[in-house]
Amino acid sequence: MNLRKIQAIARKEYYHLIRDYRSLYLAFIIPLLLILLFGYALSLDVEHIATAVVDHDQTPESRDFIRRLGASVYFDVVAHPASSAALTDLLDRNRVVLGVVIPPGWSADLKADRAGALQVLIDGSDPNTAGNSRAYITAFIAQANARNLLDFLNRHGRERIRSPVEARTRVWFNEDLESRNFIVPGIIAVIIMIVGALLTSMVVAREVENGTMETIRALPVRAGEFFLGKAIPYFVITLVDVLVSILMGQVLFGVVMKASFWLMILASTVYILVALSTGLLISIKTKSQLVANQLAVLATYLPSLLLSDFVFPQQNMPAVFQAVSMLVPATYYIDILNGIYLRDLSFLQLWPSFLVLVLMMGLLGALNIRALRKEGL
Amino acid sequence: MNWRRVRELVRKEFIQLFRDRKNRPLMVVAPLLQMIVFGYVITTDVRDIRMALIDQSRTPESRRLIDAFDGNPTFRITHVLQDPKELDRLLLLRRVDIALQIPPDFDARIHKGETAEILVLADGSMSNMAAVRIAYSVNVLETFNSQLLQELNRRRIEFGEIDGRVRTWYNPNLDSQYYYVPGIVAFLVMLLSLLYTSMAVVREKEAGTMEQLIVTPLKPSEFILGKTIPFILIAQAQMVMVILFARLWFQIPMVGSAFLLLVASFIFLLSTLGIGLLISTVSRTQQQAMMTNFFFILPFFMLSGFVFPIANMPAVVQGLTHLNPLSHFLIIIRGVFLKGTGFGILWPQFLELVALGGFVFTLAVRRFRKRLD
Repeated sequence: MNLRKIQAIARKEYYHLIRDYRSLYLAFIIPLLLILLFGYALSLDVEHIATAVVDHDQTPESRDFIRRLGASVYFDVVAHPASSAALTDLLDRNRVVLGVVIPPGWSADLKADRAGALQVLIDGSDPNTAGNSRAYITAFIAQANARNLLDFLNRHGRERIRSPVEARTRVWFNEDLESRNFIVPGIIAVIIMIVGALLTSMVVAREVENGTMETIRALPVRAGEFFLGKAIPYFVITLVDVLVSILMGQVLFGVVMKASFWLMILASTVYILVALSTGLLISIKTKSQLVANQLAVLATYLPSLLLSDFVFPQQNMPAVFQAVSMLVPATYYIDILNGIYLRDLSFLQLWPSFLVLVLMMGLLGALNIRALRKEGL
Repeated sequence: MNWRRVRELVRKEFIQLFRDRKNRPLMVVAPLLQMIVFGYVITTDVRDIRMALIDQSRTPESRRLIDAFDGNPTFRITHVLQDPKELDRLLLLRRVDIALQIPPDFDARIHKGETAEILVLADGSMSNMAAVRIAYSVNVLETFNSQLLQELNRRRIEFGEIDGRVRTWYNPNLDSQYYYVPGIVAFLVMLLSLLYTSMAVVREKEAGTMEQLIVTPLKPSEFILGKTIPFILIAQAQMVMVILFARLWFQIPMVGSAFLLLVASFIFLLSTLGIGLLISTVSRTQQQAMMTNFFFILPFFMLSGFVFPIANMPAVVQGLTHLNPLSHFLIIIRGVFLKGTGFGILWPQFLELVALGGFVFTLAVRRFRKRLD
C-alpha cells in the first residue's frame, strides 16, 4: 500500500469529477431535492379523507352526524351529492374516496331504538388510503354507537351510565404520528445508494470503454491502491451528502436524532463504504456503463428503497423476500437509523446490525480486490 | 426525410443493443425482476398486529377483553408478560407493534359502575400503520364495551345502533397488488425508455463515433427518428411483456380496453423519449446522463401518486404533478385496469399527456444539433 499512489489515483478521479461538474452538482442537488420532497410534499399519513355524504334523511340528527364526521381530522366532507348516482360519479372521477349514504327515516329508526342502516362506500383502488379509511370509519361508527348506547341507558334511567372500559393510548417513538419522522432518516439510506453506488458503478466501466484501462494496467499501482483511490473522492461526496441531509432534516423539518450524532456518523461511514464497494464491483465486472448502470439500479437503489423496511414493512413480505431482505445492506442501516432517530438506542443495542454491515464491507472489499487482480492490477 | 437512412440507423441501434452479451438478458430480466419485487413488496396493509400484553387483573372480565383481541384475525398476541419493563423493551426492539396493559382494579371498577382504564402503547415509528393499528384497537374495544354493557344489564338492549355497511369498490379485498402492479408497468416503461434514450446519443459522443455520424449525410430529424424508433419499439414490447406478466403471474384482471392503453403508452413515450433525448443532448458523459436521469426519475416517481397519494400533498405540489407525465399515465393505466374507465372519463389525462409530450419532444428536437462540442 503506497499512500502516494492512492493519492494520485484519487486526484485523477477528482479531476474527472471536477471536469464533469454536472455529475458533481447533481450529486449534491439530488439529495436536497429528495429531502425537500419527502419533508414537504410526501406523506403516507391518511388524514382529511375526501368524503361525500348523501343525506336522504335531512333531520337534525343526520346533520349532527355529518357535522361530527367532518369535525374529525380524518374526514373532510367535501361534497353533498343529492343522489347515490351522483355519489357513484364522484367516486368514478376520483373526486372522493369515501361516500356515506344516510337513508330516509334513519334518525327515526334510531330514536325508536331500531338499528339504522348506514351505507358506506370506499374507493378501494388505493389500498393504503382505503384500508385507513375503512379502519377510521369503522372506529368512528363504533364510537358513535357507544354514545348512542350510553344515551339509551341514560334515557331509560339505568344506573350504569359510564362506559366500562376506556383506553389511554400512548404513542411511542414518533409521538405526533408524522410519517416524515421515519421517512426523512430513511431517505438518507436511499441517497447514499444513489450517490455512492450509482456514481461509482460507472467509474471503472468508463475506463474500459474509453480504453484507458490499458494505461492503468501498465501503471505500477496495486489493486488495493487503485480501489481506495477510486473510492475516496466518492466517499467524501457521499459523506457531505449525509451531513447536509441530517442538517436539513433538523433545520427545516425538525427531525432530530434522539441518540448520538457520532454513532450516526460511524454507521453512515460503514454503510457508505458498502455502497461504494458494491458500485465499484459492478463496474469492474460489467465493463459497460449502460449495463453497469442498469445493474446498479437493480442491485442497489431498488432493494434499498423496497426491501429495507423503509416504507414497506418487512413483516408483510412473503418469506422469500424476507430472506432476500436480510442480504440487503440498507436493512441494517435503516434499522440503525430507526434506533438512532426514533428510539434513542445505543451501540449496545445496535451492535448486531453494525456487525453485519462491517462484515459486508469486508466481503465486498475482498471481492473488489480479487476482481481487480483478475483485471491485471 | 430519407427513410432508408432512418432504417439503417435503426438497424445499427438494434445491432448495438443486442450485441452486448450482458445487455441482452437485462432487457427482459430487469423489467420482470423489478415487477416481481415491486408486486410482492409494495404494501402498507395492516394485516398482522403483533401484540404484547400484561394482565394484572387476572379475572374473567380481563380474560374476555383479551379474547376479544385474540379472536380478531388482525391481532396476534405474541407475548404475555408480567413485568411492565419487559413491555418497554419489546417495543424498543420492535418485537411487537402494540402493547396492552390491564390494571389490577380492572374488574372492580367495572362492577362498581366506573370506567376502568387500560393502557395501550403503540409503536408510532411507521406512523401510517400505527394510526390504523390504533383505530383497529379502538374498534375492538368499543365492540367489547357494547357487549359488556348489554350483559351487565342482564338483558338484550335494543338501542338505536348504527349499522355501518361498509362496501369497498373497484378492489373489494383491498389487494395491494391490484393497485400497485399497473403502476409498476407505467413506472418501468418510463424508467427503461428514459435510460436507453438518454444513453443513446451520449454513448456516441463518449466513444467518439459521433464524429463519424456527423460526416454521414444523415439529417438531424433522421438522426432523431433513427435514435428513438428502436426505443419506442423496445419500450412497447416491454410494456406488452409486463402487462402479460401482470395478468398471468399476478392475476390482475384488466377490465378496460387494451387498445386504449397502448395508445396511451405511445403518447406517454413521447414525453419520456423527449426528456431522454434532451438529457442526451446536454450531457457529455454517460455518468452525467445517468445522474441527470435520476434527477428526473426521482421526482416523477415520488410526485406521481404511485406510492404517495397526491391528495396528501400541499396544493402547490399538487399543481406540479400536472407537469409529470407519469401521474397522468398512472391515472389512465389504473383506470383501464381496475375500473374499466374509457376515453369518456380519461380524456383530460390524454389531453395533458399529448400537450406535455408534444412540448417536450419539440423542445428536444429543436435543442438537438448535429454537432460536436
